[in-house]
Amino acid sequence: MVSRLVQNTKVMKHAATFLLPSSAVSATNRLAQTYALVVLNQQIPKFTPLLWSHAKLRICADGGANRIFDGVPKLFPDQNQLNIQHRYVPNVIKGDMDSIRPEVHQFYAELGSEIIDNSENQDTNDLHKCISFIREQTSAFDHSNFCTLVTGALGGRFDHEAANLNALYVFSDMRIVLLSDDCQIRLLPKTHQHEIHIQSTIEGPHCGLFPIGGPSVSTTTTGLTWDLCNSEMKFGSMISTSNKVREEKVTVCSDADLLWTISLKTPIHMGLTC
Amino acid sequence: MEVMWHASSFLLPQPQPQEPREDAPPPPPAALTYALIVLNQRLPRFAPLLWNRAQLRVCADGGANRVYDDMPKLFPDQDPQEVRLRYTPDVIKGDLDSIRDDVKEFYLNLGVRIVDESHDQDTTDLHKCVAYVSGSAPVEDKSKLCILVVGALGGRFDHEIGNINVLHRFSNLRIVLLSDDCLIHLLPKTHSHVIHVQLPVEGPHCGLIPIGAPSARTSTTGLQWNLSDTAMSFGGLISTSNVVKEDKVTVSSDADLIWTISIKKPIKE
Repeated sequence: MVSRLVQNTKVMKHAATFLLPSSAVSATNRLAQTYALVVLNQQIPKFTPLLWSHAKLRICADGGANRIFDGVPKLFPDQNQLNIQHRYVPNVIKGDMDSIRPEVHQFYAELGSEIIDNSENQDTNDLHKCISFIREQTSAFDHSNFCTLVTGALGGRFDHEAANLNALYVFSDMRIVLLSDDCQIRLLPKTHQHEIHIQSTIEGPHCGLFPIGGPSVSTTTTGLTWDLCNSEMKFGSMISTSNKVREEKVTVCSDADLLWTISLKTPIHMGLTC
Repeated sequence: MEVMWHASSFLLPQPQPQEPREDAPPPPPAALTYALIVLNQRLPRFAPLLWNRAQLRVCADGGANRVYDDMPKLFPDQDPQEVRLRYTPDVIKGDLDSIRDDVKEFYLNLGVRIVDESHDQDTTDLHKCVAYVSGSAPVEDKSKLCILVVGALGGRFDHEIGNINVLHRFSNLRIVLLSDDCLIHLLPKTHSHVIHVQLPVEGPHCGLIPIGAPSARTSTTGLQWNLSDTAMSFGGLISTSNVVKEDKVTVSSDADLIWTISIKKPIKE
């Protein structure tokens, strides 16, 4: 079969360096990026402080502020809880403001968080609003070196999860990574060939590739246990789940936008003292 | 186009008599035969309700651990062993690499059929269980079979997506994935759909999601934000954070859609 892949020399590189301690990231400078963190309203992953330490911009979407307020101190049970709360203050709290508790709202407002009330705009969900905001703030940045990390996008109500996955497609020119305790998810846009550098101390081996937006006529990979070779993928038929990474570099080339997911190893060493 | 009826009456505490409607015959929930598949995640709080509805109960591998550990927790005032004896699966099936030895022995001693399918690595545990249920369920007309699944959502994302793909691969079967927060099922494009919303137990939050392929035209009635020959796709519009406005919702589309609706808390047994 003649490959229908566009002959495209644009390569997009991916690496989960945000899951390494800061000292390790500076050693691999070629992949260093600028990060923003968006915290949505689900239980925060255990490595949230590590993400927080990497991020230059920290945004809570509405009830995500409750999650930071309640959840981060629990990750440092031996430390003074109020001190922890003072150290993890978001730059911005944005959204409908129908989930954030009044005392949490007041606490962060007094410590200087910018509170942006979006309750008049019901057309897009909290994650979409936060990413639009980040996009406006960072228009001067080179988007290829900027990455938005998101916690709390998975689990809970399925329609919320679907809307959060859709944000990856709607903002497909931005790097966005959805994170949970179990896994991370990114979009691999069809406009590029992809190189994914696996940090095997913290991620893998379980992985998958999914054409949720529409079928793929031809996808080719290297570095996986079950590589695809000009393979067709579609819902109702074959999609790549329960695959495994076999090498430190995985490549993906497809005629369709794909979601890439890889499992996270636990525990992730925080690599920081609070 | 043929109409397909849906009703989450399996979430009601006991079978409710259906009021005859002038505009359409009521769905025959009492005529549906239910099967339950338990996957390897914490049981939702209404698992006993589903268990009691089902005529066939299958655990997929580590789902057996969940029944063994979690059912007693849902009846904290009762003796754990008595609860386990009351909630014994008919079959345990799958790779058997997650089921604990003590759990396996307990169910073996009770005569539960344990089927090792570790030789088959091509399909997921849910796929194997659905194929088994479809072949074994005590109902001749498969349109009267409804397979309820717990533990399919959440956890590892590739498992969740693989489980959703089972809905697409078995699009001729009624399969409902349930969690504490919501349920999802496929609305195949081969039919137009009428969903009788069980307002005491589900809603109001709902959504319609075109997973796998875009929709050029979808129309609905009964929602806060109805669609009218509306296109839906990832990267564009998908219907999320919608709200059921009437107890009858209709959906008609050129694409397979995932319907999702929130489950109210608490559901009493």
